[in-house]
Amino acid sequence: MALMILRSLKIMDEAKEAVFEEARDYTGAKLGMWLFILSELLLFGGMFILYSGYRYKNPADFHHASRELEVVLGTLNTIILLTSSLSVATSIAAIQKGQRKLSMVLLMATMALGLLFLANKGFEWGTKIEHGIYPNSPTLLARSKGEILFFGLYYVMTGLHGLHVLVGVCVFSVMLILIAKGTLNQMRFVPLENAGLYWHLVDIIWIFLYPLFYLIT
Amino acid sequence: MENREVKIHPVKYRTYVFVWMGLVILTGLTYTVAVGIHPAGWAIFVALAIAGTKSGLVLNYFMHLKSERLVIFKVIIPLVMAVFLVFILLTFSDVAFRGVVK
Repeated sequence: MALMILRSLKIMDEAKEAVFEEARDYTGAKLGMWLFILSELLLFGGMFILYSGYRYKNPADFHHASRELEVVLGTLNTIILLTSSLSVATSIAAIQKGQRKLSMVLLMATMALGLLFLANKGFEWGTKIEHGIYPNSPTLLARSKGEILFFGLYYVMTGLHGLHVLVGVCVFSVMLILIAKGTLNQMRFVPLENAGLYWHLVDIIWIFLYPLFYLIT
Repeated sequence: MENREVKIHPVKYRTYVFVWMGLVILTGLTYTVAVGIHPAGWAIFVALAIAGTKSGLVLNYFMHLKSERLVIFKVIIPLVMAVFLVFILLTFSDVAFRGVVK
């Protein structure tokens, strides 16, 4: 009797597993991620509209304020993020090909590049703050309206973007653990793919932030 | 399993490397254009056009939109861009005419 119960329990477990596996939905998971990405695009989009409106009204101030930003650092950060997009894309391809170690190394490289981006950003912000330029600072408030708006937008938009980079690095560290444990593998890689999609979104936002803040002529 | 129905063809590493090279070249182009273009008003359009091209590369290759077969993935970005365009037009029809129309 006990044996029969045990056997039926085992059969039920197997059945449960089968149902669970069937319930996984590759397209649905990706579509959900895309919907999130689109909402993020509109979030940043609102700020881009705010930027364009104020820039349209204060072209000369935006030009002068932009000159004070470190173009070389901005360009370097662009290259860093583009390279991190390459490394995460190849990391996903690697796990799909069953090259687990390569996938992990590339993911670690992505995280390192993300942290390097944040370090550069921190350095850049630090220099500005040292010069007394930060929201509501007496030095900044003594300047023209357009310059105050430019630096306000600069801090909010690059700050929110930086926060996204930080979240991305945290998500990748979870993915790294999951790959190491074998939870993510050649057959199950959608969470990593979705994390990659998020990272590329962060890259795309920076692709627009870079010319709008650093390269105003 | 996730890929029971969807066949996965991993992208070749060298495709990604070529796309990355294109992105770096376009970044260099933005940098030089921003310094050199006259009149200055054109520079922003050129810079945004290059940023748009770069985004297109990232979306199509890194984010695999190019190889998506479902229609929804194909229309999703243009749809959001259309909504965004409406926001821009509405905002600018306000900002540009402030003080002009009483």
